[in-house]
Amino acid sequence: MPADPNMKILVVDDMVTMRRIVKNILKQLGFANVDEAENGQDALQKLRGDAYGFVVSDWNMPVMTGIDMLRAIRGDEKLKAIPVLMVTAEAQQSNLVEAVQAGVSNYIVKPFTAETMQEKLGKIFK
Amino acid sequence: MQQREQKLYEELGELARFVERAMKTISEASPGILSSSTQLPTASGHLSDLNKMTEEGTLEVMRLTELIQDNRDRIAKDLSAVVETLQAMDCVKLTERLERVKTVMGEDGKHLTEIMTALSFQDLVAQRVKKLVTILDDVQSKLVELVVIFGIQHNGESTSAEGTAGHLLKQLEESKKTAMKQQVADDILAQFGFK
Repeated sequence: MPADPNMKILVVDDMVTMRRIVKNILKQLGFANVDEAENGQDALQKLRGDAYGFVVSDWNMPVMTGIDMLRAIRGDEKLKAIPVLMVTAEAQQSNLVEAVQAGVSNYIVKPFTAETMQEKLGKIFK
Repeated sequence: MQQREQKLYEELGELARFVERAMKTISEASPGILSSSTQLPTASGHLSDLNKMTEEGTLEVMRLTELIQDNRDRIAKDLSAVVETLQAMDCVKLTERLERVKTVMGEDGKHLTEIMTALSFQDLVAQRVKKLVTILDDVQSKLVELVVIFGIQHNGESTSAEGTAGHLLKQLEESKKTAMKQQVADDILAQFGFK
């Protein structure tokens, strides 16, 4: 299913600079309805309180990591269908395997380009 | 039996000499250990400052880049409207030129996005610095343990300023205190007749 440009997207990262970069790229790609969360716990609260169509998340975050948040999303009947894209500096193969096993929709290794983000979005929403 | 006792005493003697030598070595190293344990918190503080400085710089570049992106989007919209009008008026040459301008602006838009993504270096730097600060904190607590276990005494003289590390830390600390704000510089310049 092609991506709806009006869908609400949640960007989860503890670093304000990364959230801004991802938001900016999404805006350039035509997605302007973007919300932010600082960690997995904050994100889960927002996801349970509103209708989001897509989550872009970091791995390493305080309070709740991205991988724990992903597992919580996949274990939640109401949230489990939301596509989750991990954007992370965790570049070990074991991390990628762990994310895939947890149900990640795709995986981007930092640093990344807008083209990579566009390509991954295309693959998730085809 | 006597031979075995003799051997045991020899071994114990050797062990005692080893312990004495080890204590002497640790004692000789004690000023350095004390110095390092007092320098580490300051060093990790400077690393955290570094993180803050790169974050502030990055956010400012982002703010300006986003302003340029917004302006570029507005200009691109206006330009498209002008091109449409010119096409309706059959101004072929002018339309072609403006189409070329639109292409260049499109390329600039891509470059601006590239600037934004290139700024992700700050996130990677910050993550590494955070890990280094954690390592330094861990090393410091181990050094403190060593100091407590071996009862290393401070000899009364300041050890924190010793060595190259101490000298560099001192420089960093002083630069914090003595760094002059532009307003102060302007005030001084004004006193010398600069306007």
